[in-house]
Amino acid sequence: MTHTVTLAQLGPETPRKRRRRPGSGNRLLSYLGGGVVVATVLAIIAVHFWPGFDPYTQDLSAVRLNPFVDAAHPLGTDSVGRDLLSRLAAGGKTTLWITAAIVGINMVVGTLLGLLAGFFGGWLDNVIALLTDVSLALPAVLLLIALSAIFGPSALLMILTLGLTHWMSFARVARATALSLRNRDFVLAPQILGASSSRVIRTHILPHVVPQMFIIAVTSIGLVILLQAGLDYLGLGIQPPEPTWGGLVLEGQKYLRLSPWQVVIPGIAIFLIVGGTQFFSQRFTAENTQPLRKVR
Amino acid sequence: MASYLLRRILQAFATLFIAVTIAFMLGRATGKPAALILTEGATEQQIHDLNGRLGFNDPLGVQYLHYLTGLLRGDFGVSYRNPSQSAIDIILDRLPATMTLAISSFVIGLLLAVIAAVLIHITGSHALRALFVWSGSLRQSVPDFFFGVVLVLIFSVGLGWFPSLGYSGSASLVLPVATIATAQFVLYVRLLDSALSEQTTADYVRTAYARGKRHSLVVVTEMLPNAFLPVLTVAGLNLAGLLGGTIIIEQVFSWPGVGSALIGAVSQRDFAVVQAGLLVVALIFVVVNVAVDLLYSIIDPRVKLS
Repeated sequence: MTHTVTLAQLGPETPRKRRRRPGSGNRLLSYLGGGVVVATVLAIIAVHFWPGFDPYTQDLSAVRLNPFVDAAHPLGTDSVGRDLLSRLAAGGKTTLWITAAIVGINMVVGTLLGLLAGFFGGWLDNVIALLTDVSLALPAVLLLIALSAIFGPSALLMILTLGLTHWMSFARVARATALSLRNRDFVLAPQILGASSSRVIRTHILPHVVPQMFIIAVTSIGLVILLQAGLDYLGLGIQPPEPTWGGLVLEGQKYLRLSPWQVVIPGIAIFLIVGGTQFFSQRFTAENTQPLRKVR
Repeated sequence: MASYLLRRILQAFATLFIAVTIAFMLGRATGKPAALILTEGATEQQIHDLNGRLGFNDPLGVQYLHYLTGLLRGDFGVSYRNPSQSAIDIILDRLPATMTLAISSFVIGLLLAVIAAVLIHITGSHALRALFVWSGSLRQSVPDFFFGVVLVLIFSVGLGWFPSLGYSGSASLVLPVATIATAQFVLYVRLLDSALSEQTTADYVRTAYARGKRHSLVVVTEMLPNAFLPVLTVAGLNLAGLLGGTIIIEQVFSWPGVGSALIGAVSQRDFAVVQAGLLVVALIFVVVNVAVDLLYSIIDPRVKLS
């Protein structure tokens, strides 16, 4: 027994050994990503209970303090002496709330439209397909610029714009599932017994769709945070003085030479959350695992 | 071919017409602009007069007709904030800077992606593929604007190699182009890699090997042209994303492009300028996508346009 094992270990790499099951090799990284996200979220919550938590009070006697110098300001202060750790956490809370709202709207709209299109088919399916094409071609950033020029930039406008322009992947999967279940016995039987379409969709099709919708929601979190941070950075999202991660980078950029950490710290926060969710969700989105042809 | 071309162009005009109509409706939804343009002390009569001169007191149908005929003559109205300047001139002045940035980033990103994907498949190296996939995941975890700021921090503040802002010669292009090109690279290297992988088992590839063609030649001359089609489609659709990303990067580097003009116009609530900018972008988007459709038949003779 020992002998064969040794031979196998010493021998050249066999194709069988090189080809891994899709995703299985990334499991550790996936847990690591999930852990980073959970830790970051817990840290954001914890800072809100920290006695020194105060994202708004200015202190002109302690301007642009370095991180790790003053115990009262562990991550230093910004150009008007506001505590950066507090602003980072407050910005994180806002970011998470708004991301949840946007992804939630996407999920509800996408699931609903997908179920309707897949279950009823026909002209409704065509209309929703047209709606999908239009939404795919709409550039969210440009659309928000147009709407902000009219209504003035606001958080609500950003939530609605991003919420109503990124539901397509939800709809596609929900439609496909509804379509595949439409003619199954457990869906047809209650209809014969007189159940309404809405009841059939709610009680017999929706439960099959919901888990997939949550997977898509998780995979879309990173993109939504990136978009949102970019819009905050442009000043089209949440308005100052309320801190956001994108807004903190914008503020800090003015003093890039004097105090680069003002930019670097919020950037790292975005990286942790977005990178964490991306690596976590890589379990669900199969990377390219196709075998490569060897050199001859 | 000719009928397809005609239909595709009609379709493009329909798209533009819809975009223009939406822009018109959004513009009127804001209310009359004179109160915004004039200073606070302006009398009711002055406001009314200016609205009249700008054509906002006419019936809606008449306004729409004026608007359409104006657009056909290249008249997009005047800037609400600076009525001596026409809105479209403000945008067209800025367009070259934006196009320079967007096109050079796209070309460099795509070119590097082709080289990287071809290298992966010529060497058959899983390590190389993993390197690109993982570094791509890291790049995608960082927002463009932060990546740009970090580049400024390292190469401008730290090393002093490149200017950190403005558009002054080719050195100032390096950092913004590097920011956008890396994002484009990640997108296309994945697409090309999986497109090439799909080709490996195709019959024509086996035939090429059977004829004794070298592996590297098979990848470059047989597989790559076939793998390129999906890239073309994505590139066309992605154009809006590219321009949207360029807007953000223009803010990072104080780039004097359309994006900066748009953001400036938003903060001043100057819808005339925003509208002109968005219609120009819509026009570019439609033209490029028609061009992509037509390129299809040139790149792949199997695609019959009918």
